[in-house]
Amino acid sequence: MLHMYLPIAGNSVNVFLIFGLGGFVGLLSGIFGVGGGFLMTPLLMMFGIPPTVAAASDSNQIVGASTSGTLAHMRLGNVDIPMGVMLLIGGVGGGAIGVQIIKILKAMGNADFLIAITYVIMLGGVGGYMFWESLQGLKKSKNAPAEESSAPEPNDGKKSLVQKLPLQYKFAKSGCEISMLLPLGFGILVGILAAIMGVGGGFIMVPVMVYLLRMPMHVVVGTSLFQILFTCVNVTILQSYSNHTVDFVLAVLLLLGSTIGAQVGTAVSKRLNADQLKIMLASLVLLVCAKMMAGLLMTPTIMVALKGGH
Amino acid sequence: MSKGKNTMNRLGYGFLMIVAASLAWLGTSWAADNPLSLELANAKIQISTFYDGTTLDVTGTLPAEADAVIQVSGPKKDVHLKQKGKVAGFLWMNKYDVSLENTPAVYMVYTPTGATEKFLNPELGVGYKALVNGIAIEPESADKEFIFGEYVKLMEEAGVYAVNEGTIKYGAVSNGVKSFSATLTIPSLMSAGDYTVEALAVDNGTVTGRNSKKLTLELVGLPASISNLAYGKPLLFGIMAVVIAIATGLIIGVIFKGGGGAH
Repeated sequence: MLHMYLPIAGNSVNVFLIFGLGGFVGLLSGIFGVGGGFLMTPLLMMFGIPPTVAAASDSNQIVGASTSGTLAHMRLGNVDIPMGVMLLIGGVGGGAIGVQIIKILKAMGNADFLIAITYVIMLGGVGGYMFWESLQGLKKSKNAPAEESSAPEPNDGKKSLVQKLPLQYKFAKSGCEISMLLPLGFGILVGILAAIMGVGGGFIMVPVMVYLLRMPMHVVVGTSLFQILFTCVNVTILQSYSNHTVDFVLAVLLLLGSTIGAQVGTAVSKRLNADQLKIMLASLVLLVCAKMMAGLLMTPTIMVALKGGH
Repeated sequence: MSKGKNTMNRLGYGFLMIVAASLAWLGTSWAADNPLSLELANAKIQISTFYDGTTLDVTGTLPAEADAVIQVSGPKKDVHLKQKGKVAGFLWMNKYDVSLENTPAVYMVYTPTGATEKFLNPELGVGYKALVNGIAIEPESADKEFIFGEYVKLMEEAGVYAVNEGTIKYGAVSNGVKSFSATLTIPSLMSAGDYTVEALAVDNGTVTGRNSKKLTLELVGLPASISNLAYGKPLLFGIMAVVIAIATGLIIGVIFKGGGGAH
């Protein structure tokens, strides 16, 4: 079996294994519009890559996968660029706020506990709600097949409050006219959560766009990828510059798999309806939640861990 | 005159003989104190693009009645760990910060067949129990033996700490001396740096001879260039990584459009 040495990770890996891993996560990324870091980082750690290098190299890889995925979704008319830009600006700002919050929590001494609790509640809540809601949608569409609009109309009270906000803008691809402050605000919220949890935030951003911004599911996936691309460019450069944790060989191996996976994923995504997409993503999020819960509840076999991991 | 010269010559010759004899005696007594020889098949291992760990043959000789034990260790560093503990009574989390100071990144012991426990003796300076004596813990209130024991489990899982029983083979005995050989494992996780390969001759529970050789692992070729760029020009490295990722994404995107353009 062909192995390659990873100079920054300080270990060697099986080329085909990493290529396959990239392909699998790229597939998920193309289907659901998530970066897949919440799956990739623990998997890489299983193959002997230090956690900090796994996370940083994965963000480098996501740059490639989301470029490939964004391009494919753009061709299908699924990327709402103005919406993506507003979410991105909010996300970057929120990230900076989140980092400060983490500093305060660490000084108070209970950061790890709060991070773990936030993780489980977010994953469980988001996954559970999406699962339940898309299940209802699937049941409904069996009786009367209706495409795309499984989300209920917002009630009038909400609508008027939202309409009163300044800077109203028509987001054509998303098919809605709302204030620019709305995606900006949600972007900040996701940015804060993502920074606290130490993840890219794709799996929080997607439900926010679906349920709070009420965007069509296929546009959500494309726009999310567009937004993730820029977030990960920023993370890759920062991690290379200040922590030397990007392993270029590892990233390229993952990249070759994931860029192809993202294209296949986009094709798969096109064939699925919104509720099918949502229920699959919800199952994935619930699975990660269950794994985290198990990790927290079961007595560990080794009572120490290298610092920097989860 | 010539008689005097002859006497001088004889005296000089006698002196030389004495010096030679005492040197020979010193030599044999030095050999008796250090009856152990050690040779590495390769003192420099190169880590190149397709490197996936390797093995290293070592050979040597020692007194016939003694046993050989080999330890590989290196570079010492401070290890920062999180000790797990229960939070809110039922959640297992990384709770406390602990550091093990002056801990080798790699530690492997090779012993002959049988009675390995006899060799893993702190008094001989061999084994994990011997290692823990040279390590300090921070905070001092932490349980050093327990934490180090758990750290050993972690490192054994990674393959950089190991006790390899029955891995030293003996050859034929001649003139009270026997040869030994072993094949050392060099895992891919053993990073570039200097290590020490030390052989001990153990007889009746005491070390009767020791000999050590330096082993160097170095990055060459592509791994060396990447590592130099990542540490030497980190900003350029980051930008390059991003540009290549985007280019790959675009190329794959265009290829797929070409191949599967018709929906």
